[in-house]
This record gives sequence, structure tokens and C-alpha cells, in this order.
Amino acid sequence: MSQPAIALQSVVKEFPLRRGTAVRALDRFDLQIADGEFVAVLGPSGCGKSTVLRLVAGLDTPSEGTVTIEGARPADLVRGHRLGVAFQEHALLPWASARANVELPWKVAGRPVDTARVDELLELVGLTGFADARPRQLSGGMRQRVAIARALALTPDVLLLDEPFGALDAVTRRRMNLELARIWAEERITTLLVTHDVDEAVLLADRVVVMTGRPGRVRHTESIDFPRPRRTEVTRDPAFHEIVDRLTRLLDESDEPGHSDAAA
Amino acid sequence: MTLAEESERIVRARAAAPVRRPAPRTGGVVRRVVSRYWTIAVLLVGWQLWASLNGYNRIVVPQPGEVVADVVGNSGAYLPDLLATLGMSAAGLLTGMAAGVALAVAVWTSPLVSGMTTPIALIMRSVPVVAMIPVLARVFGYGWQTVLVITTIVSFFPAFVFVAARLRDAPRSTSDVFAVLGASRVTVLRRLLLPHAVPGLLVAFRLTAPSAVLAAMLAEYLMGGRGLGVLFAQSVSFYQPERAWGTALVATVVSVACFVGARAVERRGLARMT
Repeated sequence: MSQPAIALQSVVKEFPLRRGTAVRALDRFDLQIADGEFVAVLGPSGCGKSTVLRLVAGLDTPSEGTVTIEGARPADLVRGHRLGVAFQEHALLPWASARANVELPWKVAGRPVDTARVDELLELVGLTGFADARPRQLSGGMRQRVAIARALALTPDVLLLDEPFGALDAVTRRRMNLELARIWAEERITTLLVTHDVDEAVLLADRVVVMTGRPGRVRHTESIDFPRPRRTEVTRDPAFHEIVDRLTRLLDESDEPGHSDAAA
Repeated sequence: MTLAEESERIVRARAAAPVRRPAPRTGGVVRRVVSRYWTIAVLLVGWQLWASLNGYNRIVVPQPGEVVADVVGNSGAYLPDLLATLGMSAAGLLTGMAAGVALAVAVWTSPLVSGMTTPIALIMRSVPVVAMIPVLARVFGYGWQTVLVITTIVSFFPAFVFVAARLRDAPRSTSDVFAVLGASRVTVLRRLLLPHAVPGLLVAFRLTAPSAVLAAMLAEYLMGGRGLGVLFAQSVSFYQPERAWGTALVATVVSVACFVGARAVERRGLARMT
């Protein structure tokens, strides 16, 4: 890769506790994501993987080391409205319709709403018939789809996903993962996904980064080479299960005593 | 902050309450009216018995029939004063709540403003309205201006507290989304915090509407001018017991109607905003 789209270089992040003491969430963490690459960061809860995402999103700043996106600081991309984000909580505006929620990024950026693009996004996430429904009238899966449509609205340079389906039941979650695989195959945006679900990471990502328990470091990197678009057949491939098993074992080990003073 | 939690709790509970029930059959309606409002009938019967069994004459306790007859038969005598009181209450409610929202936004804008205004707001709340009326009357004159000032003061505080609390406790993840989208502070206020504060404003409205009417009447009663408070004071001094009791009856009905109306507005608003 020439210049990585996202680069974290020996990033340390400490959160101050009571006087003087601090907890170290990340310790010399390195990660590079190429342009158009989908990287999943996998780790036990409390390992600092959400911190990685918050640093890239410009919501936190590193204690040491640097975080750059396309050579610039995350805050610069934020100012240019070039980041898209979706969290575990859908974070939709409850008083606004699905359509109005998807339109939010344009309004925040002070740009005229691209109605055709909104229609396209609602169709992409399969909610054309629900454009006028408000979040409370939608199911959990539908709300997350609206949140993802909103994240994609301004065709961001970087898409950040923090366990976007973490609050859904297993069946819906699986369906949403396949859906996201399809959506991503169409949009191909540089993406950072943070999750503790191994199947989700392997199904979606080009590369899976497994973290250690706190303080978080990179423990293992796995390239996933299944062809895209990935459909449900991929999840029945023995190779898929072999990778999932191996990564799950790595996760279990990083959860073992000695590694894990990292309880959530 | 406990106030924030309190407002959140109220808003949650209200939002969870059923908005509309399916229309019941006629028999059901009668049963529902009886089951809900039987206390009113008991009160009227008790009033009647109390007056007739003790043999009170109409100067001491007029009978319910006479009072209702006066209200219905001479509604022209009540109406101008009723409208004056309602107008003052509504105007005070509007300016007071607007001032409360404005100050809540100002406090959100800067901690300096917060340090300056919150103690003043607390003092205004802690001193009972009755104690303030003579002072305010001296300052603003014995007229409608002072009535308006008093209803404004009464309406101000709940709006200020509940809106300020809601402005501070927008959901973290939604605030994060706005931050990542590159929203300015004004945009966050306009597109996230103010709509998020509407349920708090609705709670304040329900709490305030009846007391604004009460405050208007109290001020009128103590200062003169126009309104139900004046009507009551005058009918007492001119030995018109039916008129005096009728005024009290009208005031009671108006207060209850204000509460019920405000609650309906609140429920509708919450269903829309959450």
C-alpha cells in the first residue's frame, strides 16, 4: 500500500482515574488500513477496541502516538464532514422520520439535501416503504439500518462501525451482517468495524485484527480472502469455520487470567 | 444531578403511559365517568346536606343549586372577569416559559451565566408569591402589569429547571454522532438539544398551567383591577354569597380544566417527540 487511509502509530491512551492514577486502555497500538479496505478489530470486552474507534473518529485524542486519516488529523475530516459513524445504540432522533434521520448529515453540514441519494440509501437498506415511520415504529434491525444509511449519507471517506448490531438478537444480527456485506460490496468505503463477534468480523472484513486484553495491543492479524459479494454460503464454508475457530481460540486466550485484568 | 434524573424519570413514565385508549361502548362510557368522577357528586351532595341540615342561611353557606343558578343565569357577570384572568394567565404562562427556556439556553451556553443566574432563579422560587405581591405592586403599580409579572414569575421556574436539565442530558451516542458529523454548537442546540428538551418543557407546562391561573387570581384579589379575584373580593364585600361561591366554583373548574388540558397537550407532545 502506498499511503494508508488510516494509520495509528504506537498509540497510547490513558484515562485518568482518582488523583494521579490512570488506566491504560491502549499500549503502543499500531494499525494501518488501506484505501477501500474493510478492517475488523476483534477483542474481548474492555480491551480498548472502542477506544480505537473513538480515536479515529476524533472523539478522543491519543495520550501518545499519532492517529492520521489520509495524512490529516481526524478533526480535519470531521470538519469536512467526511466521516460516517454507527454505534451499537442506533442514536436516531426519535422525533424525526427515517427519511429525516438519513437527511441529518446534509443538514448538519449545511448542504442542500440530495433527495435522490436519500431515496437510493433507503432502498439500499431496504426501507423504502418505511421512509415516513419514526424510530419507535421500527424494529431494532430497521433502526440500525437507518443508522447505517445515515452513516453512508455523504459518501464518507471513512466508515466507522462500533458493534452496530450488538444490541440485536442472534437471528436478526446474522441477517444484518449479510445485508451489510451486500451494502458494503456496493459502496466500498474504507471501513473500521469494532466487534466482539468473530463470525461478524470474518464475514465482513478483508482483515481481522485480534487485540489482547487491557491494555490493548495487536495480538494477531488475519487476512480474509473470501470473494465478494459474500453471501450466506460463505458461512457454510469449512475454511470460514476454521478461521472462526482459530480466532475464537485467540480471543479466549486473551481472556484468560493473567491476561485479563480487563473485565468489562 | 437529581433534577435531571427526576425530569428524565417523569418524561419516561409519561412516554410509557398509554396515549389513547380505544373508544368504549356507551355503557362503558357511563361506567367510566361514574368511576372517575363520583367524588364530585359526593362533594355536591355533602355541600347540600351540610347547608340544609345545619339550617345555615344563604349568607353563611349558599346551597349548590343557588350557586349554580347564579353562574348559569348570570354568566354575563362572570365572563369578562373570567376572560381577563384567563388572558393574564395565558400571557404570563407564555412569557414566563419563554423566559425560562431562554435562560436555560443561556446557562447551557456558558458556566459564567449559570453561576450568575441560578442563585437568582432559586431565590425567586423560594420566596412565596404572596410575599412578593405587595413589593411587586409597589414597583409595577396596582394594575394588570403586576398581575402579568406575577404569573410570569410563577411560570418561569419549572420551565427553566426542566429545560435546563434536558439540555444537559442528551443521549451520549447521539451527541457522538453529531460530533463525528462535524456539527457546530449551534447545530447541536437546534437539531438535537432543543427538540430533546421539548418533553421537559411539556412537563413544566402541565405543572405550571393551573398554578398560573391561581397566581393570577391571587394577585387580582390582593390588588384589585379586573378578573375573577376581584369579582370574588367584591361579591364578598357586597354580601353576594352566591356570586362569591360561584366565582370560587368557576375558578375551580377553570383550574381543573387547565390541568386536564395541559396534560392532554403533554401526552400528545410526548408521543410526538419520543
